[in-house]
Amino acid sequence: MTARFDCAVVGAGVMGCATALFLARGGMRVALLDRGGICREASGVNAGTLTMQMTRAALIPYALRAHEMWLTMPQWCAGGDVLATACPGLSVAFTDGEAAMLEERARIRRAAGAPIEMIDGRAAQAIEPGLADGVKLAGHCPIDGFTSAYLTGRAFRPALLEAGVTLLEDTPVRGVDERFTLDTAAGAIAARRLVLAGGAWLEDMAAWVGIRLPIKVLVNQLVVTERMAPVMRTVLGVASGLLSLKQYANGTVLIGGGWQGIGDRARGGVSVRPENFLGNVRLAAHTVPALREARVVRSWLGLEAETADALPAIGPIPGVEDAWIIGSVHSGYTSGPYMGRLLAQAVLGQEPDLPLFPIDRLLNERSNAA
Amino acid sequence: MSFDIAVLGGGPAGMAAATTAAVGGARVVLLEESPAPGGQVHRAPPPDFVGKPDADRREGDRLRAALAASGADVRTGCRVWGLGGGPLGPAGEAAGPFALSALGADGVPFAVLARALILCCGTHERVIPFPGWTLPGVIGLAAATILLKAQGVLPGRRVVVAGAGPLLYAVAAKVLAGGGEVVAVADAASRGEWIAALPALAARPDLLARGTAWRAGLLARRVPVLQGSQVAAAEGDGVLARVRVLAGGAECILEADALCVGHGLVPATEATRTYRARHAHRPEDGGWVPVLDDRQRTSVPLLYAAGDGAGVRGAAAAPAAGRVAALAALDDLGLPGERPASGTAALGRARRAGAAMARMMALRPSLVAAIPPETIVCRCEGVARAAIEDAAADGAATVNQLKHFTRCGMGPCQGRMCGEAAAAILAAARGVPVAEVGFATGRIPLRPVPMEAILGEFDYGDIPVPAPAPI
Amino acid sequence: MSLRIAGIARPAPVTITVHGQPVAAHPGESLAAALIAASILRFGEGEDPARPRTAFCMMGVCQQCLLRVDGRLVQACLTPVVAGQVVSAA
Repeated sequence: MTARFDCAVVGAGVMGCATALFLARGGMRVALLDRGGICREASGVNAGTLTMQMTRAALIPYALRAHEMWLTMPQWCAGGDVLATACPGLSVAFTDGEAAMLEERARIRRAAGAPIEMIDGRAAQAIEPGLADGVKLAGHCPIDGFTSAYLTGRAFRPALLEAGVTLLEDTPVRGVDERFTLDTAAGAIAARRLVLAGGAWLEDMAAWVGIRLPIKVLVNQLVVTERMAPVMRTVLGVASGLLSLKQYANGTVLIGGGWQGIGDRARGGVSVRPENFLGNVRLAAHTVPALREARVVRSWLGLEAETADALPAIGPIPGVEDAWIIGSVHSGYTSGPYMGRLLAQAVLGQEPDLPLFPIDRLLNERSNAA
Repeated sequence: MSFDIAVLGGGPAGMAAATTAAVGGARVVLLEESPAPGGQVHRAPPPDFVGKPDADRREGDRLRAALAASGADVRTGCRVWGLGGGPLGPAGEAAGPFALSALGADGVPFAVLARALILCCGTHERVIPFPGWTLPGVIGLAAATILLKAQGVLPGRRVVVAGAGPLLYAVAAKVLAGGGEVVAVADAASRGEWIAALPALAARPDLLARGTAWRAGLLARRVPVLQGSQVAAAEGDGVLARVRVLAGGAECILEADALCVGHGLVPATEATRTYRARHAHRPEDGGWVPVLDDRQRTSVPLLYAAGDGAGVRGAAAAPAAGRVAALAALDDLGLPGERPASGTAALGRARRAGAAMARMMALRPSLVAAIPPETIVCRCEGVARAAIEDAAADGAATVNQLKHFTRCGMGPCQGRMCGEAAAAILAAARGVPVAEVGFATGRIPLRPVPMEAILGEFDYGDIPVPAPAPI
Repeated sequence: MSLRIAGIARPAPVTITVHGQPVAAHPGESLAAALIAASILRFGEGEDPARPRTAFCMMGVCQQCLLRVDGRLVQACLTPVVAGQVVSAA
């Protein structure tokens, strides 16, 4: 016997969860499937950054709305909480070259709606006393913050169940036929519509419906310290975007920024690259000198998806009626819940509040010829 | 520095492995965290401390002397924090040498490359939580052994010894010999369990005789031995003052300033987990252990495990296993040279006796079931039993998911102290076998590592910052 | 009664400073053992779940005995006593 759903969402990361939640609230019978646990890949292991200063300019309007969603999550997510914390964000430049880059990037992001002002090193230290001397210029954005990303799955779960979503964890999908019957470890699941929300694994999923969508996999490294006395109170980055630094209420400091480790779709995150581990922590300790006092307790890796133009893949799948895709959103966690809500609007037949990112631009016509 | 074989851990297995490999002609490095090789059972006393040597010390000295003569490069007091290379390379690339990052005894970082890696990482102690187990004055049984034997310090003046396994009686005997008072021995095992273990123990008459002597010593000093008992609570105002023990349905209150408690030994598998070797859950071996072939090979080429870290069999069985691993590594690397006998017959006898003890020290579900809801299980993060059960009710299905839901096991010890109890609570709450909730993914650093020590001197301009993402 | 077991020859004691107080200890013994021998069982106070810090596993695993010695964070159980050490809470 096969269960029938209005929509099957494959991939229970932040985008799949948000899409499924708003589809269900829109009246659809939804199945949300994941080969593992809810939000156990990138959505649960990322740096939880809610910054505008690492977000691509085109995504700023989305990220600003998502920032608001994260901070009010318990209200729209049945009490689900990722301990979102609002605080100022600083992106700093230690060299003239970085200052120029910072100014240029801030200008573009400001034009896109991010309220970033340029301040000098002294003013930056007034906002962030933990900041090192020697900052030439800083971008200051009052709208910033962070979550405890590892809580994301636990935060979404009760809301999904309350909304009536059938959540199928540890249920790998082996394939999908042309009538959207999913071949899964738990049996066949039939749905009228299909949403692919597989993060770094979107390329494999797109192949189920005959689409070749090249997705590059980034293997982002993260490092965390043990609890320490307060050493900082903002989200800190550097002009290049290769540092993301914040201290949680429990005293741990999370060091990220997208330095690359070793991993792939088949094996997941395999190993930290020692030279990148060192580069990342040196950059962190240069920016907040008190971090020299800390002990590192853990490193880990998360797989991030990136399209050819590093812009999102969100919209209908061309040539496959009632099939949709969502993912490859740069700084995807930051914008994730809003992107899921937008796609849900589209799937429900409504006009999305902001434009989607259709994937036609990413498809090679020859290889995807019907 | 490049070597043919690196040995991680300088206990009996590691010492024997390094010795055998070096004698066999390999370039060998042995990396050990303690100031001297020896491991927990054969731990060397601090330099210039001279006491009456016992059998363990003499065996340790024998192994140390052989190691010193072997030509292996022995590095003690160093902290290995980084594991890479081997199977952890990029997809499509041939496996390179194993790459270890370490801090020397002098605090200076160094790196080791090795074609083969033998992991002899030993065990850590299992302490099943009970109310008050985090109170100062409560220490592990293995901890007490180290304190008594290597440091020559009593854990307290009035000592309660509790838990399971032969260490109970060893610690009680050492406390008495050192001039302390043993208020009681609270043994979780029943008399029947000990009797059932006797035939296997007979394979090692020396150990059996020693155990009998320990018990006789307690009897002579009229130390109460409470079989089939468990600690209900440790209490005191800031430090331990008394221990409540449940025995035979009754509770007794024992005034004490030290409680030495342990419920067995857990193989230290963080390195084999980090290298993504295949593991199996074998309660009788101490829990999760790497899957090995008959020559101590893990599922990862040129990666070996020996000693208690590969399954608890005791210090006596460890050197033979270390030798077997070293001989396999020499063969697998195609190194010519001497092949001393590995002594597999002795290994078999030692393993049978070790297995009987290991069964006694296996996780006892009844102790886990007795943990009250408000008792802290993960002391690094302050996660109580009830929080673990709440997470299970909220859908946490695996140990890794439990970490995300509660932070259980995310602290400085990385779940080494709480991992087993937390897994057992989670499995019980879900109604599944404990193996089904899995184990925490292994990641570096292998031990917490001071940032200051790894940073070194650097100029900002020399940090190889990658190209920024597109705007 | 001393907690140090008699019959073991030890190097002559030296003085270290623990939480501002002088403590006699033998060079080379582990700092954790020296503190236990001095009946100092609470190694550090504070609000973290892991407080008070204390010696627990004695083999470098549990991380509970973290202390600051001469400014550096160390595990007391893995740190030998050296004359003049200044020991404070981590």
